This record gives sequence, C-alpha cells and structure tokens, in this order.
Amino acid sequence: MTSSWSRTAALGAALCLGVATQAAPPDAAHWAYQPLGFPRPPTVPGRPVGNPIDAFIQARILPAGLPRAPEAPARTQLRRLSYDLVGLPPRPEELDAFESACAVDPSVAYAREVERLLASPRHGERWARHWMDAAHFAETHGHDQDRIRSNAWPYRDWLIQAFNADMPYTRFVQAQVAGDVLFPEDPFATVALGFIAAGPWDESSLRDIREDTLDRQIGRYLDRDDMLATVMSVFTSSTVHCARCHDHKFDPIPQRDYYALQAVFSGVERANRVFDPDPDVHRRRQELLHRRRQLDRGDSNLLHAATTRAAVDAWRVRNVTAPVEWQELATQTHIPTATGVLTRQADGSFLASGTTPERDTYTVLAPAPSGRVTAIQLELLPDASLPFQGPGRQSLNGNLHLSEFRVLAHPPDGGAPRVVALVNPTADFNQEGWTIAHALDGDEKTAWGIHPEEGKAHRALFELKEACEFPPGTTIAFVLHQLHGGGHLIGRFRLTTTGAPGPHRAIPAEFSAWAHREPSSWTPEQWTRLAGHVLREDLRRELAALPTPSLVYAAAADFDPDGSLRPSLNPRPIHVLNRGEITQPRDEVGPGALSCVAALPARYRVPDGAEEGARRALLAGWLVSPDNPLVWRSIVNRVWHHHFGRGLVDTPNDFGRMGSAPTHPELLDWLAVWFRDEARGSLKALHRLIVTSATYRQSVRTTRSGAGDPDPDNRLLAHRSPIRLDAECVRDAMLLASGRLDFRMGGPGDMQFDLQPGIHVTPRVDYTRFDLDSAAGGRRSVYRFLFRTLPDPFMDALDCPAGDQLTAVRNNSVTVQQALALWNNALVARQAEHLASRLETEPGTVESRIGRAVVLTLGRPAASEELRELVAYARRHGLAAGCRLLFNANEFVFVD
Amino acid sequence: MAFPLQRPGPIPTRREFLGRLGAGFGSVALAQLLGAERLLGGEAGSGARPSPHPARAKRVIQLFMNGGASQMDLFDHKPALFRHAGEAFDPGKGVRVEAPTSEPGKVLKPPFEFRQHGQSGRWVSSVLPHLSRCVDDLAFLMAMQSRTNVHGPGSYLINTGFLLPGFPCLGAWTSYALGRESDNLPAFVVLPDAKGLPYNGRGNFSSGFLPVSFQGTVIQSRAADASGSGPGGSNGFLLSDLSAPPSARYITPASDQDGLAVLQGLNRRHQEAHPTDSRLESRIQAYELAARMHLSAPEVFALEGETEATRRLYGLDNAVTENFGRRCLLARRLVERGVRFVQVWSGAGGPTGNWDNHANIVKELPPMCAATDQPIAALLTDLRARGLLEDTLVLWNTEFGRMPFAQSSEGRDHNGGTFVGWMAGAGVRPGVAHGESDEWSWKAAHDITTTYDFHATVLHLLGLDHERLTFRHNGADRRLTDVHGEVIRQVLA
Repeated sequence: MTSSWSRTAALGAALCLGVATQAAPPDAAHWAYQPLGFPRPPTVPGRPVGNPIDAFIQARILPAGLPRAPEAPARTQLRRLSYDLVGLPPRPEELDAFESACAVDPSVAYAREVERLLASPRHGERWARHWMDAAHFAETHGHDQDRIRSNAWPYRDWLIQAFNADMPYTRFVQAQVAGDVLFPEDPFATVALGFIAAGPWDESSLRDIREDTLDRQIGRYLDRDDMLATVMSVFTSSTVHCARCHDHKFDPIPQRDYYALQAVFSGVERANRVFDPDPDVHRRRQELLHRRRQLDRGDSNLLHAATTRAAVDAWRVRNVTAPVEWQELATQTHIPTATGVLTRQADGSFLASGTTPERDTYTVLAPAPSGRVTAIQLELLPDASLPFQGPGRQSLNGNLHLSEFRVLAHPPDGGAPRVVALVNPTADFNQEGWTIAHALDGDEKTAWGIHPEEGKAHRALFELKEACEFPPGTTIAFVLHQLHGGGHLIGRFRLTTTGAPGPHRAIPAEFSAWAHREPSSWTPEQWTRLAGHVLREDLRRELAALPTPSLVYAAAADFDPDGSLRPSLNPRPIHVLNRGEITQPRDEVGPGALSCVAALPARYRVPDGAEEGARRALLAGWLVSPDNPLVWRSIVNRVWHHHFGRGLVDTPNDFGRMGSAPTHPELLDWLAVWFRDEARGSLKALHRLIVTSATYRQSVRTTRSGAGDPDPDNRLLAHRSPIRLDAECVRDAMLLASGRLDFRMGGPGDMQFDLQPGIHVTPRVDYTRFDLDSAAGGRRSVYRFLFRTLPDPFMDALDCPAGDQLTAVRNNSVTVQQALALWNNALVARQAEHLASRLETEPGTVESRIGRAVVLTLGRPAASEELRELVAYARRHGLAAGCRLLFNANEFVFVD
Repeated sequence: MAFPLQRPGPIPTRREFLGRLGAGFGSVALAQLLGAERLLGGEAGSGARPSPHPARAKRVIQLFMNGGASQMDLFDHKPALFRHAGEAFDPGKGVRVEAPTSEPGKVLKPPFEFRQHGQSGRWVSSVLPHLSRCVDDLAFLMAMQSRTNVHGPGSYLINTGFLLPGFPCLGAWTSYALGRESDNLPAFVVLPDAKGLPYNGRGNFSSGFLPVSFQGTVIQSRAADASGSGPGGSNGFLLSDLSAPPSARYITPASDQDGLAVLQGLNRRHQEAHPTDSRLESRIQAYELAARMHLSAPEVFALEGETEATRRLYGLDNAVTENFGRRCLLARRLVERGVRFVQVWSGAGGPTGNWDNHANIVKELPPMCAATDQPIAALLTDLRARGLLEDTLVLWNTEFGRMPFAQSSEGRDHNGGTFVGWMAGAGVRPGVAHGESDEWSWKAAHDITTTYDFHATVLHLLGLDHERLTFRHNGADRRLTDVHGEVIRQVLA
C-alpha cells in the first residue's frame, strides 16, 4: 500500500509543497485584489473630525455598545511609544520630564516625544529588525553546511539607514528587488539586494554535488522558490508559492504565474557581490563588469565598436609592429640544484640534464641590468634532448609545473635581499586549471603547466609592481620552485628583462600564426578572438586599478565562482513543471507577475540578450505601481501590526482566501491610499499618524469583561491589549538598565558565542562560553550575529526567529523554557549584577536603590508593598538578586 | 541549586486552573504552556481534531543514524552484489546512473557476512550481532524512499516532511498533538551524539512555525570522562538554563526559593490589574513548572540508580558502547516519566564518525554498529521487561541509504532511492518485512514506503490522522505529510 506519488514519480524528482484541504474555486472578486477605494472617514454629528483613524475605529465601537477606554497614563504612553518606535524603554529622567510636560500641555508634550523618537538613530535599529524577520535574514546558510556569510551584514545596515532616513516606500521596494538596475548611481542600492538573498541556501545541493544531477536542478528550483516567496509574501502578502504544483487552490493564482516569477529570478544566485561605497568608483566598476559580461556573451556591437578597433590597433603596435625588446642578462650563474645539472647554452638559455629529480628549485643569479626594469620574461624552449622535445622534463609528456616564481634583489653591500614584487603574470598558454597566476599565488601546491601544448616554445611575462632601477652592483636572484613532483621540471629556459613601459602581456600562442598580418586579412572568428582578448586584457587592467571593492551577500548575476557555483551568463530557461515534478517539464515561460491584479500587465517582454536585471526591474515596477492594491495595503497593515500587536488583517503575509479578512476594510484602504498619495510613502509619517491617534493612546482594560462581552478578542480596539516584549527588547532593556548598552552602530555582527571549527563546514558554536562582558556583548540585539541552525537559546526561548521561515508575526509564547531562560540564563544573571553595581556606586540606602531599580526596569515608582518585600529580599540575598527578580517580572516583559 | 515550590496558596491543578480562565486572547498562550492538551478542543489555533481511532502508542523513542546508514551492508541482502562485484554497474539499457558527489564506480560487494535470523528469517549482516537476535520483534521497512540524495534536504525530509528548513519535525508535531504526560519534563527531548549535532543542527528538532514549546529540548551528554554534576545537569547530562550559571555566586538555593515567592507576589499584583490577559497567569504557572522541572531533572539523570545488570545490559561498562548506551538508558527513563518523544542520535554532522561512509565501508561502518548495536538491543529488551514496549513505539531511522556501486574503491555515495528503517513495540506487527528494493538495492521496487507514508504510519500508531493534524501558516494548512502519505497497514499489529 503505497502512495500514488511514489509509484509514478522518479526518485527525488518532486518539488511539491501543497496545501492540505479541499478548496472551493478561487475568487477573483476577493477583497485583496480589488482596486483601492478611498473611503471618507465617518463623521459623528457634533464631534470634530480628529485623526481619521479614530473616526474609522469609533464608527465600529459605538454601535457595538462598547465603552471606550480612557487615555493611558502619561508614563504608560511614553513606555509604549518608546518601545514601539525605538525598541527601548524611556529613561527615568525622560519619564519624569514627560509627566511634567503633560501637566502643561499633553498633546504638545506627546508630539515632541514622537518627533524625538522618530529622529533617533535607534528608530532604524528597531524597524530594521522587524524587516529582518519578514525577510528571514540570518548570517549563515542553514542546511547541513551552515557556513558563515561574512558579508550579509551590510544589508542589515542598509535597512537601518533606510528606516532612519525615511526612504520613500517606493524606492525602498525597488531597491530591494532591482536597486542595482534602477539606481546605478547609488552603490547602496546594490546592497539592498541582500533582501533577495536573505534566506537559507543549500550549499550541498547548489555548490558541492555534481552539476549533472537531478538533485542540483531540484536545488535550483527550490532556491528560486525561496526568492520569489520572499518577495511576493513580503511585498504583496500573497501566497504564490502555493501554486508550484498546480493552480492555487484558494486564490486566483495560476501555476503559470508561479513559474513566470521563477523566470524573474532565474538569472541570479545568492553570492558575494561587489559594490563600491564611492559612487564614482561604483559606477566605473559596474560599467566594466557590464562590458565583461557583454564580452562573455560575444556581443557583436562591442566587438566591432570603434573603441575596440582602436584598442586592437594599439595592441598590434605594442606586440607586433614595434615589439618590446628583451635584454639578455649579463653573465649568469646558477646555484646547482637537487640531482640535475643546468648547462648554459649559446643563446643564453639553460638546459637541464642528468637524472630527473621528483622536485627541484632552480636559482639563477645575475648582475642587475642597468637602467629601468619594468618586466621579466621567462621563455621555455624545446630541445631535442628532452622527452617529447620538452620544454619540460616530465618523462611521459614533456610537461612541467612552475609552482612559484620569486625574484630577490641582493644589495651591493651584502645586506638582506629585497623581494621584487611581481604582478600581472601572463603566459602564451595555460594548461586548464594550471594558469600562470599560480606561479605568483604564494601557494606551492598550485602551479603553471602547458599540457597538452608540449614540444613548443612558451613564454610567461611578469610585470614589476613598481618599475625600478637597481643600484650598480646589485645581484638579482631568480628562483623557480618546481615542487609538484613527478619530475614536472623545466628542461630549457631563458630569462630576459625589459625597461620599456608596460603593459607587458604575453600574446596567446593561438594568435602567433596570424596576428602579425593586417587585421583586414583576418577571418571574423580571428577578429572575435583577438578583439575579445585585447578587451579582456584592458578590462583586467582597469579593474585591477580600482580600489578593493566591498562585498555584500546578495542576489548576484556576476560573482567569483565558488566550486561549481558559477554565474549564469543568461537567465536559465524556466519551464512549467507538471505537478511540480522536475522530470516533467512543460512549456518554457518568460518573466511576469500575478495575473489577478487586473490593472497591470502580468507578463513582461524582455529584449533578447538583455541582462537578467531587466526582469527584476520590471517586477519592481509592477510592485510599486500606484495601481497595485496588494502592495499598499500590505505595508500599512504591517506597520499597524507592529503598533497594535495585530494587523487589521491578522495574517500579514496572506491576504488570500485562507488568510483573514480585514477587521476594518475601509480603514485599511484609507490608510493605503493616504500613505501612497498624501504621505508619499513616508513610513515616519505613517508612524506619526498612528501613534498620535486616540486609538493608539488609550489604556488597557483593567476590569474583567463580563460573560457577554461582544468583543472578547478586542478586534474593535475599544482598548489596548498588552504586548509582550520581543526577545530583542527584553535583552536591550536589560542592558540599558544595567548600564551596559553600547550604542555603536553598524558593522559585522557581534558573535555572542564561542566559535570553534566544526567537524565539517558547520562550526561549533557555544553560547555558554561567551564572555558577556566583552565588547561584543553590549551592543543592541539587532547587531547580534544570527546563526540559522544554531540560534541563541535565550533569544530562541523568547520566540526570536532563526531565519528559516518568513516571519510576519512572531510567536508570542509563554513557556517553561522561557521561564528557565529568564530565571537562569547567564545573560540575565550578569545584567542583574551590573545593575546592582551601578546602583551601589551611587550614594543611597537599600530602599533607595531598590526604588531606583524598579524605576529603571518597570518605568514607575515602586509601590509600598512591593518595595517592602523587595528590600527585605535584597537585604537577605543582595541587591543583584533583587534586580534579577525585576528582570523576571511580568511587568518588565509586558507593555500596556 | 534548588528552585522553590513554595507559594502563598495551594497550587491549583491544571484542570482547576483551566476552568478559572475564560476564553480570550490568552488562551492560546495557555494551551502552549500546558502542551496544548485537547482539553481546549482545538481552540489553540489548531486544526487538529480528536483521533478517529484509538492510539496504540503513547510515546516514541526514535533512534536516528545520522549520515545515511548503508542498507545493503546491514539488512538488504542482495546476492547480485556478490555475484557482480567489481563489474561495471549496469541496471539496464539506457538507464541513467548518477551519484551526487562522485563518478559511479564498480559494483561493490558488502564486506560482511549475511545470515538469516530468528523465526522470521530476516537477513542481517555480521556487524549487528545483538540486533540480529531481536529481529522477530521488529517490523522492517525494506523499501523506504527519499526525494533527495543530499544530507541537508534529506535530513529535513525525514524529520519534518519537507526538503526545506523551517518546518516542524515529527517530535514537535507529536507533542503539539498529544501534549505532555508530565508536568515536570518537556514533551519532546533530543539526545544528540556527544560529538556534536547532526546535519542541519537544531533545524532537525525545530518546532518550525509551531509554538516554541513544542521544539525538541536538547540534553547534551558529555564525554564519559567528564561525568558528574555540573551546571544545568548531572551525570554528564546538560540541559541549558536548568540552573543558574556557577559564575553568578549571588544566586543560591535560598535566594532562588525566597526569590520565586517574591516574584510571584509581584506578578500576582500585576495580574490583578490586568485580569483580561491570561498570558500573565500562564507566565506565573510557567515559573512553577520550571521549578518542578528543575527538581525532577537530576532524578531522571541519575543512571547510578539503575542496577548493575541494567547498566551492563546497555554496555555502560564498555567504552565503545558507553555513550550511546547511556543515552538509550536515559531515553527509557524519560519515557517512563512521561516524555512523549525522545530522539537519540548516533553520529554528528561531518565527513567521519557517523553513518556517511563515503570512503571505506569496511573501516567506517563497523565502529558505528559496534557503538549502537548492544545498546539498541538492550533498550528493546529492557522496555519489554518493564512492560513499556506495549505502548512505546521504537523507531530506527536514517535519512537515506547508500549506492550499490563504489565511491572511489571502497566507499559508497548517498542514495535516496531505497533504504531501510524498522519499527518495534506499540501496535507494530513483529517479525514482518514490508517492501523490496530492486536486485541491486539501488531503487525501491515494490511496496515502497515514502517518508510521508512512514510519518503517516507513526502518527496513526499515536492515534492521529495525518491528514487532519494541521496548522495554518502563511496561507496553507500545513501537515507533517504535506499532501502525501498513506498508512502502511502491513506493519500494524
């Protein structure tokens, strides 16, 4: 008795992530896909229209016959506002000042606090963390090879900056989907692409296993699935990822839409991507990289451009019509080596003979040439005495391996030799995987080779990093390490130098037969090859001249290959997969978006040969269109969720039929349109509107509701519901109280664990062996290094997500693990000690210190009964023990 | 360091406590806290409904061989591998042969002798002498099938039902559905190899989008020479945050005891001012439960309380079997005390020291067998002797199998095409073997058990319908079995 799937499907072939229940037909008239209305706020006769939010909310409360809660006490309001806007409690002085100011003019005082908090750099830190949840950001790959991503953090910093600078939402969305294409002048728009790469990545499937396996293909589809699910869930609150195996069962999302979205991302991988903080350098490098990709694609416009012809002419002058002259070295000696014998030949070369040792190092000494030296040439020459005419001595083929080439200058006074730095190594031929660059890489395990082009002369050129004139009497030592083994030694070679200005590049052997002829006589194929070579050489030089770039782990189409993870020159073709099976591809689909948004085109025309970024740019345009109702409703609902603990739609990632309906649909639409048109996408304006509403400022209910409460879940918002602080707020508030909070911003994540190499890729991570008092222990929680499969157990117990699922709404659990963590974790125990020491440095009594501790943790003066109990307790067990209790109090972890 | 149980009044029973609370915002939190017992009848945001059939198993011990245990070197006897050893692997014309990390090599014959055992006549190789005496108690799934040949997705699939991270594992679903039997211990406990966590780290024990209270509570075991009491545990076992760190010298048993009383006083006064939020009451209860757990854990860990005969049975007197044996014995003590689901891991992630034997079967596989064989047989014997096998389900699993052909010359690459697992105990028909692989043990051929079928069967034994145990998340009613799965009735008693 087996499932039908297992009988029909090939091994490892299916991708289906379906849903479990029977469906009614999808409904195109569902609220979420309807164009945005702009309902007028309801009015109540005899009442002025205040904040429109209150008008919408009250219009529902009044008919329900619910009493409205009064405005919360001043201290409560400021504590709530402060946690919401900056993620930290107010300091006691701020509370006192606010309370006094409220006695004069509460609305002015409150407005002033709102502005102060919105302007605080702490604001971006608070809201970036919400966005990191949504994007399932973490700094390791997840899966079985949970490797550290050292360059993920710039995206976190970009978020903080974006929220602090109140970046308009349109740009915020565009940057994270296609910032590289849409804002080429802004280097940090490239950093924003960290959004697409924020989620987990299966290194085994996508880098390590064989390219030709089904597992690799499955890995790619699943990886793009995560990218598109991230973009669409976060920006449109739709569950398009449920349409992978079949049309969406509940929402009007056909399977083809899903694969059209796969096609949007089929040109990118997750990888370290270069950017340059200096906009000019950034633009220049991106131009060069773009040109390199054009070349890789064989772009004929580029190959036949006037600038290319000029470059080829210049190359011919340098290499063919007026080639550089190479000077032979004066009297040379050599240091005899291993068992071989080097004999000087009439042409100035050395010929090896005698027993061939496994490995060897040749050292040639010569007086430094007079005048400037800009480059060194190493010629390998065939010889009848060598196996297969050489030029190497390897007995089976005449190959050789030059592991390292080093040049040292011995000063005339006999002092210590100086290393002559060499750069830009080139050779006329490189054996695959054994390029000349290996002769300068400092790694003796890698080397230059010439197989299968043995039996011919070859040459390699090395430029001096800085041209130099050696003082007379200097001796130059040329050291040729040949350490690969197996007799891979040079048979015959000659060393020469030049002082001519560079660049000095070896002409590839393939050109030598015809490059001296006039270009007009070349075949088109020859032109393509030589022009490509020249342009590539120029590109390499120009790129090398730019400052070292920065890296961000982001969506990337152009990056350094890592194992078998290589950039794809063109977007990979995407097929609709029947039932989601990799073995059942159907028609190929082009890029597009959701067809259920009737006002916008759902398929994109991208010109042939366009860079993949064009696809992402089109999707970004679709997302931020004023006519896309999903996007505007989605963001105002997310912001509402974070201010009230629940969205107007309480499934912020699902506006489909399986999600919830909005409790206040008119308010949702009004907010969306207001945010789009009036606030012009200013999130700070949206915060301001919400937090200054009477609805936001009311108090929690302090009496038990009767049995007939028409709104036991408080969906109508007739009062506030308390909110349990999230993990970051709990930790940051403890550090603030203890005096340990360090406000340094940005940079690599703080590893709050002991890190040791693991057995394989995943390191060993021990949170209990972290020095809490070290510099990495004091910064705000948003800067913690986030390990996907090994999350911090303390934060985990407080429902901090590990970055493996998109988290629109955090769990808000109350568990035994959480009680154990707050009661016993070293972090809490240590902050309690710090708080106690801080209090003990100030003059006072146990009473005054406990009173101060209560203010610092709970934001209010201590009541007499609790003060008495806490003081008695602190007298018996110490002040630190008392502080530990306060960190465990319900009132500390809940906000009214 | 004692965690106090003193409080101003008598502790209400759970039922009294539930009765006190009205429905409302906090009921979800309360259900989570108490392990979502079905007393709340599905109010806890869950689609789970009462079971349509009685449960045969009340609890589960899953023994997990991390890395991909080689089926054809242990249980899946294939004469063809002996006959064609050293030949090119040729499963038929035009059939594509691929291996995930290597070029397919020649047919590799199992380097161990195979014999039939018990009345059921099951084939077991010579590296599992103890288990071969238990085969009449076991129901073998001889043709299990994965969807991948890669560790990360493979481990996720057999633990959580999905190839991707972020989904709840079998243990989490079980504790979510059935709650805890004990107030003093977590519902779901994981005992990783002393050498480290398996592939995917804690991702394999995650509660995914289910509340965090259903995730596996990890009890680390220290190496044999480091046993003894320490922070957060005893007897070489460590449960994080069970006790305050020794560095916090100001925390003493007395300060804990007095402190909880003061704290609960503070919390009660605060709660009186917030009568509508039952999470506050739940939190007060959570501290009481934490105190109970603190008290009961050392007793659970006290393996020295076992008889010498029992300790020898599990191989605690032998360095080879000592670590896995201690964890098997602890698993028995945990289920005896009401833990629902215990997962015992053999092997950490990484290239060696586990069941991922790429380099050399004859050198790498026997040590893994030697470390686990006697303890596993002991666990079965001990559970039976105590009558626990009646309602305890024992599972032996791995994420996938291995290839019939060689990697390099003496190892084997990953093979999701077919592999073996077995079940024993509650509700399981003993002495049967279900399914068959092809003549090479390359692909599952008849009566295939997908990971979904396996999960459906385990849930069935626990009295749960895998199609009805659901949780709404990001637009889908998620199941352990996704949209698949059929109960394998042939292995049911």
